Amino acid sequence: MTTRRQVLKSSIAPMIVPSYVLGQRSGNVAPSDKVVMGGIGIGSRGAHDLSKILKFQDAKFLAICDVRNERRETIKSTVDQAYGNRDCKMYSDQFELLARTDIDAVLIATGDRWHTPLSIIAAQHGKDVYCEKPCSMSIEESWALAETFRRYNRLYQAGCQRRNGANFKLCRELLQSGALGKLKALYANVGPSANWPPLPSRDWLEGQELPPNGLLDWDRWLGPAPWRPYHPSYVQGGWRNYYDFHGGGILEWGSHTVDLCHWAANLDETQPIEYEPVGGNTGPYSVNCVYANGVKLVMRDNAWDGALDTGSCSFRIEGDLGWVETGDKTKIEASSNIKPLLRPTEAAAMALENHMREFVTCVRTRTTPSANASAAANSHVTCHAAFIAFQRGKTLSWSVEKREFTNDEIANRMRSRAIREPWRI
Amino acid sequence: MPQTNATTPAPAKPKPPVAPPQLQEGDISKLDSQGLLKILTDVSSEFQKAKACQRAGELGATAAIPALAALLGDDKLGTYARYGLEPMHVPAADEALRSALSRLKGNLLIGVIGSIGKRRDVLALPALIKLMRSTDASVAQAAVAAIGNIGTSESASALQALLPKATGMMKIVVADAGLTCAERLLSAGKREQGLALYTFLSGPDTPRAARHGAMNAIVREETSLTRPRTAL
Repeated sequence: MTTRRQVLKSSIAPMIVPSYVLGQRSGNVAPSDKVVMGGIGIGSRGAHDLSKILKFQDAKFLAICDVRNERRETIKSTVDQAYGNRDCKMYSDQFELLARTDIDAVLIATGDRWHTPLSIIAAQHGKDVYCEKPCSMSIEESWALAETFRRYNRLYQAGCQRRNGANFKLCRELLQSGALGKLKALYANVGPSANWPPLPSRDWLEGQELPPNGLLDWDRWLGPAPWRPYHPSYVQGGWRNYYDFHGGGILEWGSHTVDLCHWAANLDETQPIEYEPVGGNTGPYSVNCVYANGVKLVMRDNAWDGALDTGSCSFRIEGDLGWVETGDKTKIEASSNIKPLLRPTEAAAMALENHMREFVTCVRTRTTPSANASAAANSHVTCHAAFIAFQRGKTLSWSVEKREFTNDEIANRMRSRAIREPWRI
Repeated sequence: MPQTNATTPAPAKPKPPVAPPQLQEGDISKLDSQGLLKILTDVSSEFQKAKACQRAGELGATAAIPALAALLGDDKLGTYARYGLEPMHVPAADEALRSALSRLKGNLLIGVIGSIGKRRDVLALPALIKLMRSTDASVAQAAVAAIGNIGTSESASALQALLPKATGMMKIVVADAGLTCAERLLSAGKREQGLALYTFLSGPDTPRAARHGAMNAIVREETSLTRPRTAL
């Protein structure tokens, strides 16, 4: 027969839970309440993203997948050092990482060609995604991205961190409060032609011997991009400015600055209806666009820091009462009547931490991040349409409803790119 | 306003390597249909053929379809051949891809199946349903994805029959194809069939991520302001 004392003894034991599990020590977060993350393809930019994640008490980074041995080891070492353990697991196959049921979300910071396919695969495995920009290689991929995240009801945050930059937010606030008056035009600085011409090369580099001892899986590095012979320059960051891997200057910065314009003007769910390319590949160049409501969007090569020295990735809002312009130098330039409304803001460099912070909070609370898949799709479709107009060298008209160009069949055929087998979107 | 040095500095520009003349696209970008066809059928380099395939697709050079079809079995140029065929919206491109189903294997077959799925070629369904049972798991998965993308009532039946038997990665792919297929049915106005497929996918046989997607879709569809309503 069981005594009352025995019953109490057996039931109390499991009720003793270490305080750290419940997060009761000052500032601690219960392990059960932490967002568990993994990373795929973490190079220099991804390492910057990762450094923010490692600062958060409510996130834990537990796995890295990369096709490069050296990068895997480097990231594992960084993570293990930050946490004081050896828990970060390494993978070369993304499916193995994504099969882990303890991982809630993944950071994707591969080259552009992998962004959409990997994000889609992650969503199919039930993961939320923070993905670096540009998020897609084509108009078709942009829509597929949005549709997949809607289909799976997963959360997606594009690496468009300026949405969480205080100086950018203040500019948006000035438009939305009515201080700038009726919106007339938006200006998005795109990649300077000196760094990323608007027409990336379709050439190949001379093939070279692969690194020895399986140090690089070239087939997996290429992934969904069409085959070409190996050259070390591609792997060392030189993939940019090659059409099969990159969308040129328009996608390189437009994915940030067109995104800012859409966000500031509440245009996250639409695209311009006209795209007029101006200038040549050596720059300066621009694409003049018009939305259905008559608002202008000018994507412009404005050198690195912009004519007003506001810094990289600047954008400008013009209303009928005034204008503002800001960029990565944090300072805001404005028309004289708007200047009294400006106030000090935190440094633009804080935007990334704020943006990653927003993502982790959204994963915990199941709320939609600001740079979600639908917003990213619309801004990227806008950039791709401008990129196609530049390639075609003519003004293109676009139907938002039909998602097609209405005056150029060649442009319509450029809305998608074949994906190398065995990958798909 | 605070002045900081927080800006991202312009990246230093080491001189990038230059493509040798034989690997530069040059005038291939300006060729018409006949010029591209000549490259594709003459003794040309791998590089020239790759570029000609891409430009043929953009130009809509339908005269090049047989030449592109002939390259579908090339290990390196197969993707480029599909680059050419995928955007050509003429039956001859569908026929070229469909006829390749019986002669290709492995990754090249997977690529062609993907292109057929993208083009939503209904006439390829019987062949795809056979390939769904391929012993090559990757081929079978590609066929399943294409069937879902084509998204007909027949697709729905095939996927529903397969899901309970599928395991592991195949189960994830079948469920994903089911979700896509349901969306296609809804878009085609086949609301009842779409909802029935979602209901099926809400069952215990479906992997969790897709099951939640199906449940979410039912709620979204049933609460949509544009849904059909019964007259009072």
